[in-house]
Amino acid sequence: MSRTSVKSRNFRGIYIDYSFLLVVFFLLGFGLLMVYSASAYEGFNKFNSPTFFLRKQAIAIVIGFLAMVVVYFIPYKLWDKLHMLMPIVSVIFLILIKTPLAKSANGATRWVEIPGIGLQVQVAEVVKLCMILFYATYITKMGNTLNTLKGFFVYITPGAILSGALWILTNNLSSAFIVMAIIMIMYFVASKDYKFTFATLILLSLITALAVFIISKMDGGGNFRFKRIRAWLNPMAYASDTGHQTIQSLYAIGSGGIWGKGLGESMQKLNGLPESQNDMIFSILCEELGLFGAFCLMALFAILIWRMVIIANNTKDLYGAMLVVGVMAHVAVQVIMNIAVVTNTIPNTGVSLPFISYGGSSVLFLLIEMGLVLNVAAKIDVRDEA
Amino acid sequence: MTDGYKKFTIKMQKKLVVLVIFVLLAFVGLAVRLVFIVKGNATEYEKQILSQQRYDSDVLPAKRGDIVDAKGTILATSEKVYTLFLDCAMLNGTEDFMEPTMAALSSVFPELNMGEVRQFIASNPRSKHYVLLKQLPFDRKQAFEEAAKEDKNIKGVFFDDEYIRKYPENSVASDVIGFTTSDGSGLYGLEEYYNEELNGTNGREYGYVNDDSAFERTTIAASDGYTVHSTIDFTIQSIVEKYLYQFNEEHKNAFREGNGAENVACIIQDIDSGEILAMGSYPTFDLNNPKNEAGLIGANLITSEKNAAGYDILTVTGTAINESLLAGMTDEEKLLNLNNLWKNYCISNTYEPGSTAKPFTVAAALEAGVISPGMTYECNGYLEIGGYKIRCHNRWGDGVLDLQGAIARSCNVVLMKVGQALGTEEFSRYQNIFNFGLKTNVDLAGEARTANLIYSAADMGPTDLATNTFGQNFNVTMIQMITGFSALINGGYYYEPHMVDKITNSNGATIENIEPRLLKQIVSESTSEYIRQYCRAVVMPEGGDARTGKTARPAGYAIGGKTGTAETIDPETNKRSESDYVVSFMGYAPADDPQIAIYVVVDRPNAMHQDDAKFATGIVRNILTEVLPYLNIYMTEELSESEMAELQEKGLSGTYGLSEKYEDETVSDGDAGKVINQTPNVTEAVWKGFPIDPATGYRVDPETGEMYDAETGVAVEGESAHAVEDVPVNGNIIDIESEQSEN
Repeated sequence: MSRTSVKSRNFRGIYIDYSFLLVVFFLLGFGLLMVYSASAYEGFNKFNSPTFFLRKQAIAIVIGFLAMVVVYFIPYKLWDKLHMLMPIVSVIFLILIKTPLAKSANGATRWVEIPGIGLQVQVAEVVKLCMILFYATYITKMGNTLNTLKGFFVYITPGAILSGALWILTNNLSSAFIVMAIIMIMYFVASKDYKFTFATLILLSLITALAVFIISKMDGGGNFRFKRIRAWLNPMAYASDTGHQTIQSLYAIGSGGIWGKGLGESMQKLNGLPESQNDMIFSILCEELGLFGAFCLMALFAILIWRMVIIANNTKDLYGAMLVVGVMAHVAVQVIMNIAVVTNTIPNTGVSLPFISYGGSSVLFLLIEMGLVLNVAAKIDVRDEA
Repeated sequence: MTDGYKKFTIKMQKKLVVLVIFVLLAFVGLAVRLVFIVKGNATEYEKQILSQQRYDSDVLPAKRGDIVDAKGTILATSEKVYTLFLDCAMLNGTEDFMEPTMAALSSVFPELNMGEVRQFIASNPRSKHYVLLKQLPFDRKQAFEEAAKEDKNIKGVFFDDEYIRKYPENSVASDVIGFTTSDGSGLYGLEEYYNEELNGTNGREYGYVNDDSAFERTTIAASDGYTVHSTIDFTIQSIVEKYLYQFNEEHKNAFREGNGAENVACIIQDIDSGEILAMGSYPTFDLNNPKNEAGLIGANLITSEKNAAGYDILTVTGTAINESLLAGMTDEEKLLNLNNLWKNYCISNTYEPGSTAKPFTVAAALEAGVISPGMTYECNGYLEIGGYKIRCHNRWGDGVLDLQGAIARSCNVVLMKVGQALGTEEFSRYQNIFNFGLKTNVDLAGEARTANLIYSAADMGPTDLATNTFGQNFNVTMIQMITGFSALINGGYYYEPHMVDKITNSNGATIENIEPRLLKQIVSESTSEYIRQYCRAVVMPEGGDARTGKTARPAGYAIGGKTGTAETIDPETNKRSESDYVVSFMGYAPADDPQIAIYVVVDRPNAMHQDDAKFATGIVRNILTEVLPYLNIYMTEELSESEMAELQEKGLSGTYGLSEKYEDETVSDGDAGKVINQTPNVTEAVWKGFPIDPATGYRVDPETGEMYDAETGVAVEGESAHAVEDVPVNGNIIDIESEQSEN
């Protein structure tokens, strides 16, 4: 290696994908703005401070940013070596949910408090990150066996077990679904052909269609998921309870029009729409900023995803590329699911909008993932490209 | 790169691009979906949102004003009470809130079933308004707030406030005060009449987002209702009710099962202003619990039937309500009887006044100039008018009487003769002047109309006139009688009777002063003076031994007045009842400087022989014995040994001091009063020969069975007993309930 190449490697060592980072910052800023707008009323009412939620979210972002910087400086191949830790960490957190360290909110136990620092993390977020890190290695290890039927089942099993545990232990189907979706997307990209992916998709579609058909024919009964599906098919019939949030969300989106009522002008956040700073923040955004604001945000996500595709495709290294694909899948799946819920395209389920929704764990782990992507981007060997 | 890691192949890169195309397609699909939601729905959804906006608006309840008595004693007030509710959604917000909140709730409110509360929170985690307890007093709310200050994890517990009506004196003046419905509007009495003044205007508190997107809160304060200052004096009212109650205790179940009388009522009025100082009747009811059915026990059952025209005809049966009867009554029947209980007898019931009308007749004749004070009349026991023989209560006749004697002994014959001199035209004109047939417009809800319960000059025949002169055959209300009597006594000045003299706002500033309202002068000062003289003779010794009202005189005082014993009409036969009477006494005190008027009516006393004015005079005596000293009125009469003993027993010995004469005078009681009227009593020899019936203490005529007072020889059937038995009943006089439904 020549002196110049050493220099250039050093130069590359601090390479930062600024366009990617800019989009992330833009989303975070936008998110803070929307959290403040959507939560000021509730914050004032419940905690006597309009900035209550804003402050908590800002603190989470600062911690997340520091985490991102730290991760950015850690060579990602270290994670490859530590891959066996990932399922273990996931299992540990899943066990912790049944210990006194677990914390509840809104009637669901989904958080674990890390002793000593008082930081509460959502177990599902830990599992998502761990699965991305684990499966990137798993794919490199399995190699061509991925393309056999047996290989497919071997591939899918660890994720399915952990997702199942996540579903059962935290009563959180949507997070379990997101984990499986990330794993399937990584499989789709890494495998040679489309057959297993599409077979799985078709099978899932059939099962879903059958289930929805049966539930829609049922008069009542079943747990809240059955009810949510019925409310999805006919939200007006359930407007007073299960369908309430959906209807209010549609009102919010509809009343915003093309240009919206203006930032801070939402009426639905004043008690009309539950969880307005959380899962339903996209509705408030639509109400205040209209279709224009919604499309701008979706464009930002599209740019973010596109940037990750560029990074992945420029990373000749399979492990690094799969990390980026996993992170991209995480962001894309949550964005699509969240918007699909608020527009009543799919039944109501609690999925947060990445970077925008209020929630410390979510933003912290997303920023860690962004650190990973930046690190992968920084390690791209420009010479190979040329 | 050959460091053992596999490559991200071109094929994978292509698949990644395919994937991203799918993702972007999903984005486009969602974007289209958004467009469809907005398109065509924007206006409708906007309206939906506006329609469901509450702007977090809260009603701030206004406080209904107080009702206070003349001395400021609170008779009715509104108390702020609190509703405790839980915001389960907030409580579930963080796990830390639940246990401290539950602990605080169970320690401050031990009556809560915490198991139930937890169960509700678990099954309704999103409920925002779970009501736990209602009508909590302020100190309990404060106790919880103190506890909540200690631990900031106590969350989601809130209080709503509202007002409830409280009557600190329970049943005192229940008829006068009235009560309120649960929605805060008054029913009966002052609560109904002054409803508008008592009710305030509710305020509002609401949040909104201002132009700068900042949350703001605006409060429009509630304006509280006005305080109504009644002329009722709580002390006098209590004395009145004490003796009405005592009367009932003494006479209930005496002759038949039930209360001491159908109704017993009393009004005390300031003679020079028309202000009512006390107004009460028995049975009363608890204002804090007006629907308490126990109050019905002892009252006669009222039944309702539809007549041919579809009107509800109410009938007062002779059966008293007892516990077993009450248990079998329907809610409708109970309400019917409760309505009767809530009614104010003093203004809502009409009856024939009887002899208490005599001073009015004499005043009218004097005023019209058809008689002069010096004239004398002869009574030989009856007078034949229009083919009917109308008797005096004294069958042997009272002999020759002057006007004073006629009033003192309550002679019907003399009054009929006076009436004949007056004529129907003048009599009717004076009834109008005295306000009979007209409402007094007293400021209470529910005053009865009596316009078609009296005769007009056109349809008044000679027998009607004759019976009207002594108070039969026309109906009045108590408030009409006492207000007219006050005017007769005070020099002829007719004041509108009123219960309220001042209205103040919640800060105590006067909104309205209600001054005594002089409506007219009904008689001249000189006529008034004669009436005072005649009425004094009813009670005081100058009226002779046969005077009818001497038992009304309280120890130490001289008073005037007039007794009344009126026949009633049997509702079943529509004929004069043989057994049922309304006995009364209408008086003023003190006799020489009239300050107050008192009127006691005992409607159908529970006794075998109801026609005895002593039922009423006894109550008057008891009430005045306490009320006059309370009003700081000096005693003017000597006290006998027994009277002193009585005052001592009643704890009123201090009132001797009110007698300026007592220390100086050594003359013993007895013949001290000058007997002005020495008209010979022709019946004296006769009745003194009758044996005394040991059961009643009366002398009984062995031939007729009629009874006479053992000492005075006054026929105990009363002044007008059986006097008008043959006279046709006034067809105009019908039951008050059906009367109200006509014109």
